[in-house]
Amino acid sequence: MEKNEFLQLCRDNSLAGNHKLSSRILPVVREYLLDHSNNKLLVIWLETSDSGDNNIAFMNATYPYLNQVFTDMIDLIYSNTFMAAQGSDALLLLEDTVNHFRGRFTLVVEGAVPTKDRGIYNVIARTKNGPITALEVVTRLGEAAQYVIAIGTCASFGGASSAAPNVTGSVGVSQVLEREVINVSGCPVNPDWFVGTLAHLLMYGKPELDEYNRPKLFYGFTVHRHCQRRSYFDKKDFAKKLGDIECMFSQGCSGPRTSSDCPYRQWINHVSWPVKVNTPCIGCTNRDFPDGSAPFFTPLPQKSKSEGTGHSEQTKPKKGGDT
Amino acid sequence: MSPQKILFSPVTRLSGLLSVELEIEHRLVIEANVSCTMFRGFEYIMRNHHVTDAVYLTQRICGICSSVHGAVASYLLDQLYDNDIEENAQYLRNIMMGADFLQNHIRHFYFFGLPDFVAMPNQPPFLSQNCYDCRFDEEDNRRLASHYLEAIKAGEKSHQILALFGGKAPHQHSFVHGGVAVAPTAGKINQALALVRDIRDFVKRYLMPDTELIAKCYSDYFRIGKTPGRFLSFGLFRFGSKNNQMLWQSGVLENGRLSDVHLGLIQEDISRAWFERAAWLKSDEISPAPHKPEAYTWTKSVQFRGKHYEGGPLARMLMNGFYEGGTSTMDRIVARSLETLLISELMEEWLHELQPGEPPIHQKKDLVHNQATAVTDAMRGPLLHSALVQDEKVEKYDIITPTVWNFSPKDEQNHRGPAESALVGTDIPSPELRNVILGRIIRSFDPCISCATH
Repeated sequence: MEKNEFLQLCRDNSLAGNHKLSSRILPVVREYLLDHSNNKLLVIWLETSDSGDNNIAFMNATYPYLNQVFTDMIDLIYSNTFMAAQGSDALLLLEDTVNHFRGRFTLVVEGAVPTKDRGIYNVIARTKNGPITALEVVTRLGEAAQYVIAIGTCASFGGASSAAPNVTGSVGVSQVLEREVINVSGCPVNPDWFVGTLAHLLMYGKPELDEYNRPKLFYGFTVHRHCQRRSYFDKKDFAKKLGDIECMFSQGCSGPRTSSDCPYRQWINHVSWPVKVNTPCIGCTNRDFPDGSAPFFTPLPQKSKSEGTGHSEQTKPKKGGDT
Repeated sequence: MSPQKILFSPVTRLSGLLSVELEIEHRLVIEANVSCTMFRGFEYIMRNHHVTDAVYLTQRICGICSSVHGAVASYLLDQLYDNDIEENAQYLRNIMMGADFLQNHIRHFYFFGLPDFVAMPNQPPFLSQNCYDCRFDEEDNRRLASHYLEAIKAGEKSHQILALFGGKAPHQHSFVHGGVAVAPTAGKINQALALVRDIRDFVKRYLMPDTELIAKCYSDYFRIGKTPGRFLSFGLFRFGSKNNQMLWQSGVLENGRLSDVHLGLIQEDISRAWFERAAWLKSDEISPAPHKPEAYTWTKSVQFRGKHYEGGPLARMLMNGFYEGGTSTMDRIVARSLETLLISELMEEWLHELQPGEPPIHQKKDLVHNQATAVTDAMRGPLLHSALVQDEKVEKYDIITPTVWNFSPKDEQNHRGPAESALVGTDIPSPELRNVILGRIIRSFDPCISCATH
């Protein structure tokens, strides 16, 4: 907006009561602020059907810490968890951002999208005109976003929210969008995987993705390949119970079929990971988690097949779009 | 003037998706329907699972109190398999739970609660903050807002302790039935001690003074958002080889009188929840009914002896004699901070009691019972898991979470749950203050909708 227009707007509304002036000026100022921080990623974060574990995981980010991510990497405009705005103010902020920054914002979806009964099992907000379902808003914003990131296994592939018998018909984000979705899976995500993906988008654009559209940087190799207990496996030296120091394959470890860098990246300032505390990897980054990992403490060859679960109909994530 | 219908949606800065519908007449809230608007169906998901899957799978109900779901599922399995728990395992279990309590309370206060009272910088994620009632002078405000940054590290350090012993967070791995799988080495204990001292210092230097400052400046909130004063706790921090000794007692507090909780007197009512009893189903079977017209939430209404009860830090602090106060918004906030201080001190004691050594875990192989109910308190109130098992497979799994207690919709007789009671009767002096006042009352319960609806 030009300076003259702005002054005119102020004059026109200066005598109006009921905060009309501020309601006209604020969106303009907001747009200015957003336009002038365009070297950061503009992020809209939608929470859908999930446990909120991925936003908690995000708060656990170290180097950069959460505040550094907010200051130096992203402008988090809408987030059910973090935003100060509430109620209709929050929805207005969402509308404004989508309208003004079409094709220029990053959509982060945390959670699966219920599809049964037109998505009524997840309503992100209610308005005078009725409920806004996750299905509706993910579809609409997914089309308008520059990048779409599915954070966590629910958003990536359906995850626990779509586990059998999946009474809500929940699916991963890529199943409801005709475009490319970057899947940053994990239950929850390791904050490094997510913040690292954001950093890559910011500095170099889209990262190289694996066959399930996950950044190869973090999901390029199996847990098994880098496991500190690999030598036990090679010698067929298996743990007899949880708490033992040998290979956890006998205790249900899904490491051989799970792609992630947990063994060397580890969790929460890199202090530990499940095998280090003498328990099996349960394959939480996998497309068929949790059904394909259950029973969790039963060795891989005897685990239940994922056929007959909510995941069996799921095809590979769609590839498409040119973003 | 006829009542005005108001929608407060979405209620942000909490776990999960919440909308509130209100009726306001002459500035007063005369009715409130709290509506939890997400549903996944964990009680159905649990069926047909090997019962030991419960320790990991039920944690997926909630990201902010995952360890407590893992804990109560472990207690449940301890009963089913008749495990004996080593003292070292009990210390480790309580240290992990305590760490998650610290994480939850610190993050709730600073990330979710602080923007209710303090003007945050006008930049993402704080745009469009409604500051019609931000009361601090510039210096106090600047100082309080800057503590948001300090809280980031304190929250992360809390989860570092959980991960040291539990492998990761959320959804820790080593607190399972029969004890704890991790070896409590001297190195881990020392690392955790250093972390817990940092956190305790944070609580003393920032959280407690900040709570006091907010309580003083917003002292009217000791009169706003009052509940009827019925409290329930399942107790917290178990010890003893059969999980039978409770550090913080369980009980029902009503009119200043404390009595025992009898699990058999707990009932769930679905008259205003999106569930139905289909005629062809067994009498206690219910199924989702998202179009049920008289319903407005996915949360069932839970009662003890036919009445609604409030759970959470205020209930625990009152019941254990750590706090004497009322039932208001600010009482809930003050009690939560007080609990954070107490737990940070307990954690240090427990870490000193913990003996370095082998993993304290003994899982028995065969089921002794096929039915069990286990309880504990979670951060925001009483949590119950109950299972019926056949040949180690789950036939039925019931979960009643804290936010079900606090955010109960109305029952068949239209009795309100604690949060609805707290909202009704509130004076809203001007329309701009609507979301501010209501948001403060609602958040003082630290609601978790992912849990409530599971």
